[in-house]
Amino acid sequence: MSGASEGGAIRTVEEVNDRIRRGDAVVLTSEEMIKLAESSGIEIAAKEVDVVTSGTFGAMCSSGAFLNFGHADPPIKMTKCWLNDVPVYKGLAAVDGYLGVTALSETKGFDYGGGHVLEDLVSEKEIELRAESYGTDCYPRRHIETTITIDDLNQAVLVNPRNCYQVYDAATNSTDRVLYTYMGTLLPHYGNVTFSGAGQLNPLCKDRNYETIGIGTRIFLGGGTGYVIGEGTQHSPQSGFGTLMVRGDLKNMNSQYLRGASFHKYGVTLYVGVGIPIPIINKRVAETAALRDEDIFVSIRDYGVPVRSDRRPVVKRVSYAELRSGGVVINGKDVPSSSLSSYKLAQEISEVLKKRITEGTFYLTRPVESLPKHREFKPLTVKKRELMVLDVMKREVFTASPGDDVEDAAKKLVEKRIDHLPIVDEESKLIGIVTSWDLAKAIARDKRRLNEIMTRKVITAKADESIDVVVRRMTQHNISGVPVVDETDHIVGILTTDDISRKIVGGIAK
Amino acid sequence: MRLKLIYSTEVVEKPILAEIILKTRIPVNILEAKVNAQKGELVISVPVSGNQLDDLIRMFEKAGVETKVLAKALQIDVDRCTSCGACVSPCPTRALKFKPDWTIEFDEERCVACRVCVNACPVKAITMLEA
Repeated sequence: MSGASEGGAIRTVEEVNDRIRRGDAVVLTSEEMIKLAESSGIEIAAKEVDVVTSGTFGAMCSSGAFLNFGHADPPIKMTKCWLNDVPVYKGLAAVDGYLGVTALSETKGFDYGGGHVLEDLVSEKEIELRAESYGTDCYPRRHIETTITIDDLNQAVLVNPRNCYQVYDAATNSTDRVLYTYMGTLLPHYGNVTFSGAGQLNPLCKDRNYETIGIGTRIFLGGGTGYVIGEGTQHSPQSGFGTLMVRGDLKNMNSQYLRGASFHKYGVTLYVGVGIPIPIINKRVAETAALRDEDIFVSIRDYGVPVRSDRRPVVKRVSYAELRSGGVVINGKDVPSSSLSSYKLAQEISEVLKKRITEGTFYLTRPVESLPKHREFKPLTVKKRELMVLDVMKREVFTASPGDDVEDAAKKLVEKRIDHLPIVDEESKLIGIVTSWDLAKAIARDKRRLNEIMTRKVITAKADESIDVVVRRMTQHNISGVPVVDETDHIVGILTTDDISRKIVGGIAK
Repeated sequence: MRLKLIYSTEVVEKPILAEIILKTRIPVNILEAKVNAQKGELVISVPVSGNQLDDLIRMFEKAGVETKVLAKALQIDVDRCTSCGACVSPCPTRALKFKPDWTIEFDEERCVACRVCVNACPVKAITMLEA
């Protein structure tokens, strides 16, 4: 087979636009392209189809808008600003601000945030504007309170540093409690799997080699028209995790495709609708445009392990087809799976975009610059040493045996002025714990031996864990101390909330 | 169909539900139970309708238990719902499912009113109707 038929040009963007103008461009949605490629083969599909439309509608936290409020009289140099009690970033000129979608309302918390303000703006609702300043000779006003609508703003421009992830790893939960995450509600013991991304409709999956999408690509954004303005933050195309930075005029958008959202016990965000037309310039692009859910794979990661997302253990590799089927098998168990992004709206976006192109109201652009095909995604190294369990824990640990007498144990606690007594077996391995409260109850109820009252499922810590992680664990289990164990369950120390508060207050001698 | 049974002080100690189950052999699913010395409130799900349901209600009423037919446990605001699916896999009884057109379907009979979906919905489109 010759090189020309593999990557050789079939048509240019200019030729596609000529056909749109003449009204005879062949435009298919991604789903229609998949069907055509399956029935007629990729050669014919590549020859016949001018444009394939993609679409995605999901939570995109790295989104926000630049807003210009105009000048009041007398004018104010706003240093702090709120819209419906949501703080706006004001490190810009007097009446310019950036509203990020994850900013929380100072009065409503997780129920309302920057994403909701943008949805309300687009819905033409009245928004309360409040701002403060220190007053200058040129900007004497120190305070302003008024209401605005999107029509009052000079500019309202959505500029999203990272949208449109090519794929996103799915999530599950191995622990014994419900987790509330940015991947939604995760039930205990691998109770469910959640995932995000439109898979076979996803724009960056449809042009995996970045041959047609680049800086200047005209796109469907939030119901209006927008542009790709560069690679998105954390763009990592070589590992299949490409992203885009996009901008679009908020004034042309529609709240159907731009929705404020709250994730329970996590925070607020914005659901953004993005659709990108893929001109079929060669056979390689036709092949990626015809990729199916069955061909696109992601990892299911365990969100029960509180580490950086790329270090969370991979439970399984699956395709979007498996995830979308409603269930995946984990450890021999059928686990329900469902998306967080809307496949329904992704379909709708690919159809709306197709209609706009076919009707000649949306023309394609050739990128002015390509996006990088390789970008290192570096973690943040913490150079200052942080407090770890081994910095705070007590190394002298008093233990007891399961057969010990309750009263002897109580005496030991009083004598040593401690509240926690780990129980160990003959090999000194941790097998239980009793607290002063357990002992008080045992004495009141006339129990004799520690093995009748001890807690057998002991919450522990490791010496090299961060104090923050262990404090969160203690709060979750409503306990005041944890034995610190090594890899073989031998006790190396004990950490109590008293130790931690003493360390933070600053070493008050006992 | 879901029914709310309200037991007054006079009848709260009687095993009325057990007697009716034994008599009718209807497999009753208890969704909620609040019982104390003065009063009892149960929400049950029964796989019957029409005359059979009327008969069942009559039996409870005759035994001194007030009954209310509960139309719906929860309501989905279709204008707010984006059909994202965030409520689907967390639902422990699989009462929320995708339809073939990728919109969400709610199966009243399977719902145990646990509220997991209310919290899981990112756009607050689901509200629980108080029983």
